[in-house]
Amino acid sequence: MKYELVVGLETHVELATKTKIFCGCTTAFGGAPNTHCCPICTGQPGTLPVLNKRVIEYGIRAGLATHCSINTVTHLDRKNYCYPDLPKAYQISQFDKPLCYNGYVELESGKRIRIKRIHVEEDAGKLVHERGYTFVDYNRGGVPLIEIVAEPDVSSPEEAREYVERLQQIMRYVGVSDCRMQEGSMRCDINISVREAGTTAFTTRTEIKNMNSVNFMEKAIAYEFERQKEVYSSGGKIEQATLRYDEHTGETYPMRTKEDAQDYRYFPEPDILTVNIPESYIESVKASLPELPLEKLRRYTAELGIPEANARLIVKYKAVADYFEKAVSLGASARRAANMIVGNIYASIATEDEKEKFQIAVSAEEFAKLIRLTDEGKINTTMAQITLGKLLENGGAVEDYISMEELAGMGEDDLRRICEEAIAASPKAVTDFKAGKEKAISAMFGYVKRATQGKADIRKAEAIIRSLLQ
Amino acid sequence: MVTREEIKTLAKLAKLDFDDARCEAFEGEFAEIIAFADTINCEISGDNDTINEVGGRAEDIMDLREDEVRPSLDNEKITSNVESENGYFPVRRVVK
Amino acid sequence: MTSTISRLSALLHSGIISSVELTRLYIAEIEKQNGTLNAYVHKTYDEAIANARAADKLLKEGCTSPLCGIPMTLKDNIATDGMETTCCSKILRGYRPIYDATVWTKLKAHGAVLLGKTNMDEFAMGSTSETSVYGRPKNPRDLTKVTGGSSGGGAAAVCAHIAGYAIGSDTGGSIRQPSSFCGVVGFKPTYGAVSRYGLIAYGSSLDQIGPLTTSVSDAALVYDAIKGIDPMDMTSTDVSMEPTSLESGAKGLRIGIAKEFFEGLSPEMTAVIYGAARKYQEAGAEIIELSVPSLKAALPVYYIIACAEASSNLGRYDGIRYGFRAANYSSVDDMVIKTRTEGFGREVQKRIMLGTYVLSSGYMDAYYKKACLLRERIQAEMNGVFEKCDVLFAPTVPVTAFQEGYSGGNAIETYLSDVCTVPVNIAGLPGISIPAGKINGMPAGLQIIGNRFCDAKVLQTAYIAERDAFFDVEDVEGGVRL
Repeated sequence: MKYELVVGLETHVELATKTKIFCGCTTAFGGAPNTHCCPICTGQPGTLPVLNKRVIEYGIRAGLATHCSINTVTHLDRKNYCYPDLPKAYQISQFDKPLCYNGYVELESGKRIRIKRIHVEEDAGKLVHERGYTFVDYNRGGVPLIEIVAEPDVSSPEEAREYVERLQQIMRYVGVSDCRMQEGSMRCDINISVREAGTTAFTTRTEIKNMNSVNFMEKAIAYEFERQKEVYSSGGKIEQATLRYDEHTGETYPMRTKEDAQDYRYFPEPDILTVNIPESYIESVKASLPELPLEKLRRYTAELGIPEANARLIVKYKAVADYFEKAVSLGASARRAANMIVGNIYASIATEDEKEKFQIAVSAEEFAKLIRLTDEGKINTTMAQITLGKLLENGGAVEDYISMEELAGMGEDDLRRICEEAIAASPKAVTDFKAGKEKAISAMFGYVKRATQGKADIRKAEAIIRSLLQ
Repeated sequence: MVTREEIKTLAKLAKLDFDDARCEAFEGEFAEIIAFADTINCEISGDNDTINEVGGRAEDIMDLREDEVRPSLDNEKITSNVESENGYFPVRRVVK
Repeated sequence: MTSTISRLSALLHSGIISSVELTRLYIAEIEKQNGTLNAYVHKTYDEAIANARAADKLLKEGCTSPLCGIPMTLKDNIATDGMETTCCSKILRGYRPIYDATVWTKLKAHGAVLLGKTNMDEFAMGSTSETSVYGRPKNPRDLTKVTGGSSGGGAAAVCAHIAGYAIGSDTGGSIRQPSSFCGVVGFKPTYGAVSRYGLIAYGSSLDQIGPLTTSVSDAALVYDAIKGIDPMDMTSTDVSMEPTSLESGAKGLRIGIAKEFFEGLSPEMTAVIYGAARKYQEAGAEIIELSVPSLKAALPVYYIIACAEASSNLGRYDGIRYGFRAANYSSVDDMVIKTRTEGFGREVQKRIMLGTYVLSSGYMDAYYKKACLLRERIQAEMNGVFEKCDVLFAPTVPVTAFQEGYSGGNAIETYLSDVCTVPVNIAGLPGISIPAGKINGMPAGLQIIGNRFCDAKVLQTAYIAERDAFFDVEDVEGGVRL
């Protein structure tokens, strides 16, 4: 029998606000324990939450970027459960009126993963278990989150990866989160079930919570797919369970199950008024959204003629795409700029993080200048690469490494002049060449190289010499 | 009528300990208060629309708090009601 | 003479007495009487003297606040930075808040002098103050009677003149009911008119801070000092900051009397309230008999919503960050359970259980959601009422002060005695209780209820009776008198 995979993802994304969702404490990552705290975010008796405007704004941005509708009247709810990292014994979240609903994330194939809802909520603190103690740190408590709930439309581990990476890209593009999985600012819960191919039956799901690596998530789904298929093939049944993925063995294990199902007793948060969001506000947020990565990718390949592989690598990081587009707007040719970013600049950047930030020593202006010189044939590609290397290392301007006076002699016309000189200076080579000795042309290249101290584009010179000799 | 099992489930949710002896003493009292709460169903029959406003009041998004950092409290102050350890709120996992 | 705020303020502003001297008089009276009355559960004399010194300085600098230098109390559920605040519960034993409630911040700015924290029902859950972990306060008018609750300590302190005024909180009548039992004035402002920041929550959508005083004009003075929108409380409202003008006439005043408040009421209490209404009528007011049918559902609606919110609000007492922690346990979870089981009293546990029940899956629709719908209906009917009249007259409580220990054996009957006060909280209205007569020697309060944000109207109406001496409920003897 053939089986198919059904995956639903719930993704928590920490919002990049300056302050927590209900108080003025910083959201900065880390810090000594309990130093980013105040009476509100440590749940002191008598304190009240004061909702941060930017949390709602970012929630709406995230929703619009994933094609969601926005609830113009939204409210927060209490989700009651007792755990030491939750100082009020309830998490302020959203239950029946999420900020955003009914959206989708499009994959490169054109397939859409539907978004059921996006709601805002607060993060919990952290527990450290050590020496027979549980130590509680509330620095992270009250950091704003959005939870993005997808419909179970993902049907392969690769799609799951692409969905999460798309989401990551989109959130970064619209500036609502840095989505650093290793720091926990993006984490996924995945529901996995398997059914007979071609059917729409609902089958028992297993859940893996808090995945914070795309690689492991992909592996975990693949493993779980195989495991569930085997269980069904041998006539067995899947038990509904929360699983843990072991990164070392690459296998999933059931977690110790809680005795009772949770009952969160959601009810409207009485300390926070309903929030009205005028249509005009939503429109203004919409107008401020940047071009999204998939649209950008399509434009780069279709309109700018950039090879898909390069386009994908540039679009991946918004800062790079912005840099690239600026250089192009300053007259650099898109294909060459893309090539040099992917081929040269990326080689100088060690980590994904740094690519994400893309703080390099070469301004887009200087980069564009360098590309233009190359486009105009004033320098060749080798020269451009060498200069770019120097700029990346030491910063500064193109002029610091290439003398403009010298370059003044390196335009198309100058090259033609030098080629003419080369022909005039090599009568024997000309005769030989005309007699069919192809190799004789290289003597004239030698002349051009010497005359230009190697800066000339030899392929161009060759074309000129050939046309002159015909 | 609320069963003993239900009382125990509620106690678990509320993080209270209701062993059999306490349940015994509590059952009658709890039945009385539930019966009192039940009088809500005598008067007016209503449907179950979603509740979407708190006291009928709402706030415009523009009136919400601006995202401006305010100083946090010192760790000593935050933990001043416990014997803190390295700035943490410590709970020993087992104390006999 | 009765030491009203206005009287004391005149003495302070004219320099006849300093705030430090006045404060020492109050401290001496507390030391004399509190052993009997048990009104104060935490005395803050050092703070009081420091506050008094600051007030004397302010007075010298020309501070015009009538509250400047007046010694007063806060209920034990209002947070004061570094000063013990326990909600009269074992679970908050030794808790010293790390911030000030907005109401205390405002009063301090007015030069208030904090004598201490007053007794109350544990977490404000009760109508007698007998569930306090510190034992019950006694009614200065008859020590065998309860003070009422939950702001019982504050009512007793004001009644016995061992505080210039008291700040209480009212979730279902907790300011007005003890005021009625002790024969003082208790004012619960419109929900949102006074910031709740720093008021340790019982039922968040119902809780409201207000004053207990010896006169209506004092209530207005304190209300004016504590009212106003607060950026720390999103549910607070931008009310007028103008001082409340009390002068008004009874002529043309439309007084509504809703028959539901009088069903089954004793002839004596009916006589007190109708008698009061007649005085106003004689002075030119119009009496309008009307009906608010949904009031019948008010009591279960109140208990369901208050307990639902309380079950959530009280989840945070887990022994981790503050307060009491159980001594022996086998895991962190076990510590939390033991702490709560040992730390909360019986009534609080009962209400947490009820609140958990009405919110739990399977019962949510039948109880909590139903209660919210009925709440909306009560609010709507109340809106309609205030199209027909300016204020409603009702008893504050159907009865006078209970005998001590009464509610222990009559839990539901005690709940039923809140029937006249809870609708005001459910609809978020302002309400005041003023002494309007006596039954068998114990005071009976008249409750005057107004429309939302018509706090001034309520105070003005009550003030007519005070100014024109409609009622004669004599003062208790003793305490600070100047």
